Amino acid sequence: MMKWKRSAAVLAVLCLGLFCGYPMMNAQAPAKAKTSAPAEPKITVLNPLGTPPPIKLKTMAPRLDTLDGKTIYLVNDGFIGSDNLLYEMQDWFKANHPKTTTVYKRKGGGGFDSEDPALWQEMKEKADGIIIALGH
Amino acid sequence: MNKPAVPIVISEFYQQETEKARNEGLPGLRTQWIRGPVWAKTREELRRDVINGNNPITGKPVMQEIVEKFTKPLTAEEKKTGEIIRTKGPATFTDTPEKLQKMFLDNRWTDFLPIVLPTESLVNEMLKGTSHSPDETVGKMSPTQTGTYFEDWTYTVKDVAVNAVMAGCKPEYLPLILAVAATGKEAISVSDNSFVEALVVNGNIRDEIGLNYGVGAMGPYAHANTTIGRAWSLLSINLGNCGKVGTTYMGVVGNPMNLINIVIAENEKESPWEPFSVRKGFKKGENVVSLLEGWGVLSAANWKAASWGPVMDYPKAIKDIFDQQGMLFGSCAILSPPIANFVKNAGYQTAQDFEKWVAPVPQFPMAKMAPPVAKAVPAAATEGQTPAPKPKAPGGMGGMSNVAVIVTGGTNNNYYSVGGLRYLRSVQVDPWR
Repeated sequence: MMKWKRSAAVLAVLCLGLFCGYPMMNAQAPAKAKTSAPAEPKITVLNPLGTPPPIKLKTMAPRLDTLDGKTIYLVNDGFIGSDNLLYEMQDWFKANHPKTTTVYKRKGGGGFDSEDPALWQEMKEKADGIIIALGH
Repeated sequence: MNKPAVPIVISEFYQQETEKARNEGLPGLRTQWIRGPVWAKTREELRRDVINGNNPITGKPVMQEIVEKFTKPLTAEEKKTGEIIRTKGPATFTDTPEKLQKMFLDNRWTDFLPIVLPTESLVNEMLKGTSHSPDETVGKMSPTQTGTYFEDWTYTVKDVAVNAVMAGCKPEYLPLILAVAATGKEAISVSDNSFVEALVVNGNIRDEIGLNYGVGAMGPYAHANTTIGRAWSLLSINLGNCGKVGTTYMGVVGNPMNLINIVIAENEKESPWEPFSVRKGFKKGENVVSLLEGWGVLSAANWKAASWGPVMDYPKAIKDIFDQQGMLFGSCAILSPPIANFVKNAGYQTAQDFEKWVAPVPQFPMAKMAPPVAKAVPAAATEGQTPAPKPKAPGGMGGMSNVAVIVTGGTNNNYYSVGGLRYLRSVQVDPWR
């Protein structure tokens, strides 16, 4: 009996301790959270980019009022398949715009983007419009 | 010329060419987008897919659009003139490291791996690697063949240092990185070939900065090799506007070597021949970096590794590979010292002798890929049609057969690599100290 009473008393003290301690534990929780996650410090870093050039806007060439009676140059820049594509385009113009003249030219100069001054001069004199192929 | 023009471009390049036109000052350029590819298609296929087909972007008939592009009057926007000034943006950014890493990643200022954040103090430390002024202009770069197609971005010593910090470089690497940056050669080409770039380093700087030219020489097994290669790619992305998929990068299958490139310090001590740089006209011992570009290299002919003595003819094995591959963009053999010595003992007293012998016969590989003749519409097959020309090698491509033989790596076995790398140029490093 005595043993039982002693055990009950110990249990009561433990429960009381737990009960009384709970608010303290609870009160400490926010304080602990505040100290465990401090705001990450900010740092300053440099911009890693190079400098792009300014853009100089160019005026586009005036458009044509009609394709009838006009000469369109079809220029092959040398990419594989451009020839067949432009030949097919030439056939389409013959069938659908018979009053339009098309002239097929293979651009010289050795590369897709190389200059061909002779052709540029010819087109300056004779072309009303230019189709150039192919961007791949 | 002041003539209305319509460029024809396959729609896969819509993003790239739209940006290009804007940068060229023609934001309203009336490009006609067509279904690609055109390469290797017959005339019948082209008629069906392109001429009678629709613009993949707008969904409208291609030829109808072409006519409209010639005849529809210019809009007010298309008539605009003037100059648009662009800057690189704010000089600095301030935030937490975590958010800055994300910002760099989101803006595609990285190679998708974490970077060393370029603080002012780290960049100042990096700048101690050179005597040049931070504000000195180093050069200009674009995503391909600087000065030809894309716009060129310019950059200073400080800009290069920022990217060297990001890559994890040490200050002593900076002169080498500046020498490479000053060439204007991009590490990440826009080309659909998925090119990779390579550096060959000669001179005492190899030992000074700890470049590995022993076991694992071409791999990421030394801090200098790895971070210098990475710095070249990062500065190409940020200072040359390279590597943006859809606009400034169009490599069809891509190339994992773009991450750190191929950085080769030549094993001059074990090589039986003169250093690569000496063969390019520099003095022995001079610190020189050489640039190469191509499809990359692979470990080669190891199926013969168990053959020895007269059966194992390395010069012939290398030549066979070169001849078989048909090197459109150059040929390169990277030999370990044992293989190089084997080749020398086979009778090639100089690397030049071997380069001359092993060079592929000049050829025109692209011709093999021209549209199939049998499937093409025959000349004058249909009355009124324009006759198809006899297929021939296209102009403006091929014919290059630059050969480079480089010696690097360990002496622990008989291995070597070959592939497509063409030599571009060599520059001195020391002027950038």
